[in-house]
Amino acid sequence: MADYYSSFEPKGTRWLLQRLTAAFLVVVLAFHFMLLHFVNHAADITFMGTNLRMQQAGYFLTMVLFLITATFHGVNGVYNALVNQGISGTPKTVVKYGLALGGVVLIAQGIRVALAMAGIL
Amino acid sequence: MSQSYDRGLIEDFGRWREFSAGMWAWVLHKFSGWVLIGYLFTHIAVLSTATVDGATYTNTLQGLEELVVVRFLEVGLLAVAVFHILNGLRLLFVDLGIGLEKQDRSFYASLILTAAIVVASVPTFLEGVF
Amino acid sequence: MSTQVTEQEQEAEETVEEAVSETETEAVGAARAAQVDYGYMEEKAEQEVRDAETTVKLKVFRYDPEVKGKQEPRFDTFTVPFHKGMTVLDALMYARDHYDSSLTFRHSCRQAVCGSDALFVNGRQRLGCKTQLADLKDSDGPPGTVTIEPLPHSDVVKDLVVDMQHFYDQMEAVEPYFQTDDYPKGELEEQRQSRENREKIKMSTRCIWCSACMSSCNIAAGDNEYLGPAAINKAYRFAMDEREGESQKQRRLEIIEQEHGVWRCQTQFSCTEVCPKDIPLTEHIQELKREAVKSNLKFW
Repeated sequence: MADYYSSFEPKGTRWLLQRLTAAFLVVVLAFHFMLLHFVNHAADITFMGTNLRMQQAGYFLTMVLFLITATFHGVNGVYNALVNQGISGTPKTVVKYGLALGGVVLIAQGIRVALAMAGIL
Repeated sequence: MSQSYDRGLIEDFGRWREFSAGMWAWVLHKFSGWVLIGYLFTHIAVLSTATVDGATYTNTLQGLEELVVVRFLEVGLLAVAVFHILNGLRLLFVDLGIGLEKQDRSFYASLILTAAIVVASVPTFLEGVF
Repeated sequence: MSTQVTEQEQEAEETVEEAVSETETEAVGAARAAQVDYGYMEEKAEQEVRDAETTVKLKVFRYDPEVKGKQEPRFDTFTVPFHKGMTVLDALMYARDHYDSSLTFRHSCRQAVCGSDALFVNGRQRLGCKTQLADLKDSDGPPGTVTIEPLPHSDVVKDLVVDMQHFYDQMEAVEPYFQTDDYPKGELEEQRQSRENREKIKMSTRCIWCSACMSSCNIAAGDNEYLGPAAINKAYRFAMDEREGESQKQRRLEIIEQEHGVWRCQTQFSCTEVCPKDIPLTEHIQELKREAVKSNLKFW
């Protein structure tokens, strides 16, 4: 299997990861919506309420995992949509690394925010 | 050899009436995907007020929730997210090779279910805004 | 086109143009005859249209970069008399023979096996010879107008003829021929294939290289490097053939699991819908994706 690595990773891996993250996100996104719009009401958001939730380790970890999978799924989705439209050559390389960087920045900032919400940072 | 003529996209949006179910699914999944990724970045940006202090966070978010247009945008977000999830489930089944003969009907089902869920959620989402 | 010139036509040719050399083909002779009798054919058509119970209007895409007046694409309308069982190809040939002999389109077998006459009829990819005019309307009888255009997403050479080279390039890229290193032991032994295996690949062997599928795929339209449903189906036909052996299958999978191979398919299903041979293309592509994932997961 090892003789044909691409510059990024073996082909097909991103396809599989897109599906795995999709399955995870179906559940967690639905849960996120239910919790924050139906169980709690969005109009009543306070830092205190958020803080209380984020202080629970299980919830905190779920949210971080949610962030990472959603970022991967979204950024990979955008990359694929552009490749399907025919992007190639230099623009493609620029977009690939730009998106990867954007994704990393989003995850980093998101974790900072999560830590601030939990009162750790 | 004479120069051939590039007619550009034939099945472009001008011919939307002729789109098949599978094509609508692809177009809408792409569109909802772009909206969701755009929202994700915006969402993290708005939530970043939490790194300033608790009061800024609370005031920003409650301030936004008071705006009528924001409430309607949230309903739109729900519609987009629910469709992306339901059609995404349909695509997962297709990838597993299950139910390929019913793929067009499952698309219509996901549209109807999306509409139903959105309509049912409107009261909760627009609560207290008028 | 047959190179045999019947006696009758031979006589007609000789009377029309005495200077016609004997090496001139039947086609040129007939064209010259048509030019002289052109008005006659059109009159004949008008008579037949008047007599016919039903007529159909053909709206046909015209374009010819070499002819002034046809360098800007346009639609020409031809009225043809309808008869039971008339196909789109029949109608086009009627129009060409009676109204405008410069109307150009590919056709050959007229029985849906050669793949020459894939066209864009009333907004959908179809084979001209296989499409009954009467089927183009929901209710009984033929529709008033039938719009015929060349296949989308390919460059047009003239009228309804498109440049097929890109399609052929993609087909060649998957090595669409039987290859094996897995020979049977005895020298004169057959390479056997079980019934089940044949049944499995049966549908994928039906491809007639018409390119309707590739024309209907939006990803093929956007991404020029995408192999396309026909090529991937061809790869499936051989990869799943047990006579080719496991190492050959891995080799074939490596070709189609490139970035612009199976992964570009977004399961739009248009290819499956338009295939005139009813090949379940999307299903085959999906199966290959699963095969690729399974073989990649085996990192031990």
